[in-house]
Amino acid sequence: MEYLDAANLQSRELNKLLKQKLQKNKELKLKNPHSLHNIGIGLEMGEVIIEGNTGFYAGGFLNGANLTIEANAGWYTGDNMMAGEITIKKNAGCNLAVYQSGGTIVVHGNVGSRLGYGMKGGTTIVCGSAGMWAGQMILGGRLIVLGEVGREVGESMYKGVIYLKDKAVEAKLGGNVFIDDLNKEEIKEINQLFSHYGINEEASKLQALRPLTSGRHQYELFEIDLQAEEARKYSSKSLEELL
Amino acid sequence: MKRKKAKDVQRGIWNKETLSAIDNKASSGKHRIRGCGSTRAMPNFDDIVVLPSQLTRMSIDTYREKCDTRTTLGSRSAKKPLVIETPIMISGMSYGALSKEAKIALAKATAKTGTVISNGEGGLLKEELQNSYRQSIQILPSRFGFSKDNIDAADMLEFLVGIGAKPGLSGHLMGEKITEEIAEFRQLPVGIDLHSHPRHGDALGADDMVVKMDQIRQLTNDEVPIFMKIAAGRVKDDVKIAAKVGVDGIIIDGAQGGTGAAPVMASDHLGIPTMPALVQAVKTLEEANLKEEVDIIISGGIKDGADLAKAIAMGADAVAIGTAAMVAMGCRVCLQCHLGRCGFGIGTQDKKQRENLDIDQAAQKVANFIKGMTNEAVLLAKAAGKTKLKNLEREDLRAINTEASAVTGIPLIGTDYVFSESFGYF
Ligand SMILES: Cc1cc2nc3c(=O)[nH]c(=O)nc-3n(C[C@H](O)[C@H](O)[C@H](O)COP(=O)(O)O)c2cc1C
Repeated sequence: MEYLDAANLQSRELNKLLKQKLQKNKELKLKNPHSLHNIGIGLEMGEVIIEGNTGFYAGGFLNGANLTIEANAGWYTGDNMMAGEITIKKNAGCNLAVYQSGGTIVVHGNVGSRLGYGMKGGTTIVCGSAGMWAGQMILGGRLIVLGEVGREVGESMYKGVIYLKDKAVEAKLGGNVFIDDLNKEEIKEINQLFSHYGINEEASKLQALRPLTSGRHQYELFEIDLQAEEARKYSSKSLEELL
Repeated sequence: MKRKKAKDVQRGIWNKETLSAIDNKASSGKHRIRGCGSTRAMPNFDDIVVLPSQLTRMSIDTYREKCDTRTTLGSRSAKKPLVIETPIMISGMSYGALSKEAKIALAKATAKTGTVISNGEGGLLKEELQNSYRQSIQILPSRFGFSKDNIDAADMLEFLVGIGAKPGLSGHLMGEKITEEIAEFRQLPVGIDLHSHPRHGDALGADDMVVKMDQIRQLTNDEVPIFMKIAAGRVKDDVKIAAKVGVDGIIIDGAQGGTGAAPVMASDHLGIPTMPALVQAVKTLEEANLKEEVDIIISGGIKDGADLAKAIAMGADAVAIGTAAMVAMGCRVCLQCHLGRCGFGIGTQDKKQRENLDIDQAAQKVANFIKGMTNEAVLLAKAAGKTKLKNLEREDLRAINTEASAVTGIPLIGTDYVFSESFGYF
């Protein structure tokens, strides 16, 4: 397999080289990525194995290629991804899979906050845990988190589904979502995904988070909460004294 | 002596509107949403006059001589800058807020006049792209219907940070307008009240935007001009940051800017008006020695050729119009755009109402309006002795009241005094 050394390259030069080389080679290995930003953006074909950490936006707008990041990935990995596959062997930063509309991302470690913000399609599987605000305002797609999730998961999701293994999820729900069982079809599909990606897990152990879309007013947004009773304790005189 | 009738009593701030606003909150406990943006009086370009040529310069014949209006935008670093025939852009009004028919009419108007239209929040309609002369594509925090394909179709890109009618807030589209068609286009459930994504999920701060900018530049082969649209607030800081991020230009939307739906609070009390925002943007770029590089498009309440001429004289490279273009199609500014019951077929998704808009007729009217507005600006420019619209300069302007002089730094009529930081030659 051909090696490409990224040690002395800017992301622009690197991406041009990647594109050129992937016309001929089906596979490439990338050495010394040194957390460079914007690695492999918009790639349409081929397979790239990155032997190290990546910076921001690795695989952004990915459109058919296959990226494997052997170590950790920075923020915004797979942003606006349309098709293809990204595998992250260790952990990923915040905002993984933001605005993803297609393709699959698999993270073997943990991810930061705002996983899949505004996601529109495709699949993202996190084998470890995810930070807070996972799946905020998603418009489609599937998120699967096999470890724990942070608070406000699924806040204001419009469409799509989030599958979770975290049993304590009830205390961490965002607004406008409900917990549901998986149907048979879903269990089958997800088990297929698991076996395809070599993930040792069982879909029937998961719970699904779905959007409350039964009517427009189900969308409970921020409300001012004036707690008059609570505030009474701050007043200098008690009600009894006043009367 | 007869007693005055209750309705004739002067009530000062307790006028009808105040009462109705209080009644509204008293029954709902909520803030109010309304179409169209602010209705407040604010300093604007009408407070400025253009000085005619007399003995100091030669005038250019209004009826026989040429005055160039062709405008190039985004040449700072884009390999294919945007060239338009008149410096009037049709600003991004979403498919959703506007009907499909209205969007097509606006696009057709750009083809008739050689200018650019922006798609707005609701994704890119195929029919809009097919009919537009030049297409600007917005990159919004919600990314409805957005993908690399949209970027490929763009003659210009707009990274949206905010709009003047509701700066600091995200898009609103009330349930009445989220029909099946719109819902499918945006990937939303039918009939919900949409309060769209507040922040760009793929660039949380200005430092990240530098990297994001490089990404988008790479994806467009450095060809397409990239603008950033910001609502007028801390203009000086925002313009500096945008320039640092690496944009080719900035669209500044002042507080008079229009909208399809916004909280009245936001329209009336957030952000600064268009004209002073322009002044601050120009000053900031001049101080940074970037005025020649970074283009400015100004919008918010631009309604005629005089506004255009004065904006250009103050340092804008182009203006953008929203409400004015809608009015040219028949909109009567009823402020009820959010309800989606527009009888003119403009701000509605109702099938019946949409039939009321004759696309070709509407397109012609908007085209006429853009042409007429260009004509007006050119009339002023020629009278001021310019053979190019963009040759209008600050020195050609005077303010007719102290307030306008103070907010612009342009001398008051009949004096050489500037009632604030000076702006330019004085
Ligand atoms: C019906 C309507 C819909 C709008 N939708 C958007 C939008 O989707 N995205 C955006 O950036 N601005 C939107 N705007 C704001 C305009 O782009 C523009 O900033 C504003 O209309 C300019 O002010 P003017 O209407 O006074 O010309 C909208 C405005 C209107 C009137």
